[in-house]
Amino acid sequence: MGMGILNIGISGLHAAQAGLQTASHNIANAATPGYSRQEVVQGSNTPLSISGGFLGQGTHVATVKRVYSDFLDRQVMSADSRAAELEVFAGELAQIDNLLADPEAGLSPAMQEFFKGVQELAANPSSLPARQALMSASETLSARFHDLSGQIGGVRAGINTQIVASVEGVNTYTAQIANLNERIHLAEAAGTHAANDLRDQRDQLLADLNKEIGINTSLQSDGSLNVYVGNGQALVVGTQAFSLSTATSSGDPEQLDVAVVTPSGAAVTLKPEMITGGKLGGLLAFRADSLDTAQNALGRIAAAVGETVNAQHRLGQDLLGNLGGDFFRPVPAPRIYGSEGNSGAATLSAAITDVGSLTTSDYRLSFDGASYSLLRLSDDTVTDLGAFAAPVTVDGFSLTRGGAAAAGDSFLIQPTRGAALEFGVAISDVRQLAVAMPLRTGAGPSNNGTAGISPGVVTSTTGLPLAASPAGDITLSFDAANSRFNITGGPGGTLAYNPATEAAGKEFTLPTAGGFTFSITGTPADGDTFVIARNTAGSGDNRNALALGQLQTRQTLDGGTASYQSAYAQLVSEVGNKARQTEVNLTAQQSLAQQATAAQQSISGVNLDEEAASLMRYQQAYQASARVMEVASRLFDELLGLGR
Amino acid sequence: MRVSTNQMFDTVVSTLQRQSSSLLHTQQQVATGRRMVTPSDDPVAAARALEVSQSAQINSQYGANQANARETLGMVESRLGAVGDVLQYVRTRAVEAGNAILSDTDRRAIATDLRAQFDELMALANSQDGSGQYLFAGYQSANKPFAGGPDGTVSYSGDDGRRALQVSSSRQLPVSDSGSDLFMRIRSGNGSFEATAAAANSGGGIIDPGSVTDPGALTGNDYSVRFSVAGGVTTYTVVNETTSATVVPATAYDPGAAIAFDGVSVSVRGAPANGDRFDIEPSSSRSVFESLSRLITAVETPGGGARLANDLGNALGNLDQAQENVLRVRAGTGSRQLEIDALAGIGEDLNVQYSAALSRLQDLDYAEAVSRLTRDQTALEASQKAFMRVSGLSLFNYL
Repeated sequence: MGMGILNIGISGLHAAQAGLQTASHNIANAATPGYSRQEVVQGSNTPLSISGGFLGQGTHVATVKRVYSDFLDRQVMSADSRAAELEVFAGELAQIDNLLADPEAGLSPAMQEFFKGVQELAANPSSLPARQALMSASETLSARFHDLSGQIGGVRAGINTQIVASVEGVNTYTAQIANLNERIHLAEAAGTHAANDLRDQRDQLLADLNKEIGINTSLQSDGSLNVYVGNGQALVVGTQAFSLSTATSSGDPEQLDVAVVTPSGAAVTLKPEMITGGKLGGLLAFRADSLDTAQNALGRIAAAVGETVNAQHRLGQDLLGNLGGDFFRPVPAPRIYGSEGNSGAATLSAAITDVGSLTTSDYRLSFDGASYSLLRLSDDTVTDLGAFAAPVTVDGFSLTRGGAAAAGDSFLIQPTRGAALEFGVAISDVRQLAVAMPLRTGAGPSNNGTAGISPGVVTSTTGLPLAASPAGDITLSFDAANSRFNITGGPGGTLAYNPATEAAGKEFTLPTAGGFTFSITGTPADGDTFVIARNTAGSGDNRNALALGQLQTRQTLDGGTASYQSAYAQLVSEVGNKARQTEVNLTAQQSLAQQATAAQQSISGVNLDEEAASLMRYQQAYQASARVMEVASRLFDELLGLGR
Repeated sequence: MRVSTNQMFDTVVSTLQRQSSSLLHTQQQVATGRRMVTPSDDPVAAARALEVSQSAQINSQYGANQANARETLGMVESRLGAVGDVLQYVRTRAVEAGNAILSDTDRRAIATDLRAQFDELMALANSQDGSGQYLFAGYQSANKPFAGGPDGTVSYSGDDGRRALQVSSSRQLPVSDSGSDLFMRIRSGNGSFEATAAAANSGGGIIDPGSVTDPGALTGNDYSVRFSVAGGVTTYTVVNETTSATVVPATAYDPGAAIAFDGVSVSVRGAPANGDRFDIEPSSSRSVFESLSRLITAVETPGGGARLANDLGNALGNLDQAQENVLRVRAGTGSRQLEIDALAGIGEDLNVQYSAALSRLQDLDYAEAVSRLTRDQTALEASQKAFMRVSGLSLFNYL
């Protein structure tokens, strides 16, 4: 009898001790990340059957369970992964956003300064200080292109560093998870109880891993957990972890790709679309969505400025009397990178043919064994090039193939990526600034009619009559009887002009003599002459500077719909919009993650007040059980006392 | 709902962070005075601001160009005024030289004065601007355009180029005039034809510059009016020298009466001698320098009478043409100056508009921002205080 009570007391004592220990454990781990609170599951012992019924036999601790919801845990993980991705994306994008925003450091002031220089020069065409001022403004513009492109390049380099760090993190986590898989397997193999703290640790590692890279998991019957990325690439299988590595992208040597190392030691590159969520997902998405586009857009503006200013400048004549050369360094050819796995002998070359048609996208040329196709990466438009025997021109650049490709070969083409970085001033002597035009017009000294000739515009210097005056002069003399001008010198021939109907002005281009366009207005008298001559010593001529100045507002980009500045504004707006959108998404995602965490924590989190109550409860249970034992002892003493 | 202790702290921390970041943003706005700290704050306005700021900059560049144009035109205008004054003075002297009571010596004195005026005109034609560029040389502004003197011909080595400046988006305003247009290509005679007395005339007939009665009837041919005196009766015949046709058959001479043919009307006064002739030729191009040097020759040549009267009449006609040409160019300059004034007015209006637009896009509403700052601050302080209170609550305090 006494023994029964003593045993019951001991069982209660044990149970209360377990409760106290669990509450203490909970309190101790209140701040441990990933910790799920634990509870003692207590049950009554099997009763003893006696003639009058059943006698209770005390209590026992069935198990210590962790309070945990798999569903809520998964929700937290997926919300956290997306939040981590957006956070990285927003953080990186903010760098470009800030870069473009600065009213002093952006492209806009340098561009305006350049055109201001052009206008000042137009006002003082022969002034060397004005020429010097324009040169300085050009250098500033070129430096600004370099700065901006360099800073975007810096962001790109920063991404590479972060990818390396992130991959190292992933490898640490997967190794630890594999290790825990083993320990959990061993711990749980012994009995039916779950290894609560080990599982908590593993869950926490999964949550951390998930913030680096979006993962899928599957729980195995032996308690181990397999981890996958993308559509099934395993990172952890049972006790084996596959590590990730980084490798220079075969398509673009400036950036790193993520690869997975197979058991045989070979690294298999993971396609960017396999990696979503987490920091890595954010970095790769940012690089493809925003960084490439921003650098390309900047390059496209640089290419347009370089090409259009050069084209106009080459039509002019410098202070030394020579035709204008390149103002800026020629626009660099598109960058082409062959994939590392290319096995064919094909080589590819590209050249920019029309800056007005360029896009901000990169392109991928691939060969499937039968025909070549060109993919525009920004919108996945495919152009079928067929056999691609002759050079083709797409979106403002031409592609030429040499040699034959093998099936599966591909090339990455970046038409404008490097244009901003390689932008530079080609002119070294201020006198080489072609402010004048190479030809001028004049009326004959003894003209009797009322006709006049416009100053004329040079549109092409190919074949332009540039012999020195007066030997090379082209004279138009009016033949009233035949309503035409007879041309002496240059290309010869006649130009029809009927003063009766065309006195309001008729435009002429000299036949077979390059592109010189002028107009004649009014009524010439018979024998009146007009002279087109080489603009020798034309240091006061500013016609080409005026033409250069007009480029500022001319719609030269995007198929003739955007000026330099509006293309830049488009870039700023695109980055700004993307940044804003990402910030909004991030805020939403963060609050979603917070809600998921709140829900999860409301189940699994430790509440110290609750634990304090538990402590008191179990303390009292302990005291009561001890008292039960004291009663049993007293009963025993009573029995012993009977014999005295 | 159960609340875990950790979560209480985490929630407070993230709330405080959100409030701090909002406070920082407002503070940056107040510090910079800009509504948009980065383009992402308002991407549409940021892009628009870039375009407006370029428009504003271009507009102010047009303003600068207008100022440049105004300066150059002012310089041209003052030179043209001086040229007009010289020509006016020369004209007065030429009229004086026609006074019949003057002796050859008197006329030589006038000629000396005219030579000085010639030099002044040359100097004006070779005017330079502040940076040493020749104003009337066309594009070849570094080279002296006019060379020569009263005893030879004056040549023009410039060209017809006129420098223009971009004074508005759609207007390139010419700010210079070429020397050939101003000084060289001047119509001789009355602008349509020139009537001169033959050098060999011995009578006292003086021809006037004439006028055009019917522009449609002008042929552009050379004519001569030939006089013959027979038996005290003076008659004249008009012959088309180009076709050798007689246009007006022998007609009795009435001094001062109009002799009209083929749209031309001239009159001869005085008493022409037998065999005297007057030539009527279509106007040609004659530089102001040549007209002036002819005048000097006419005044310097000894002897007065009909020869002097005819030469002076011719010279005066040519000077009037030159004067008129200067006035024409000057009127053009003046109208361009007016145009600049009008454009400047438009430019200033635009400037105000652009500034207003930029301010609307970029500038911060301080009242709103400061009140937001205060609100954010209050909210942050309240959160902090609430946290301090709540975090102090624990059952353990009572154990």
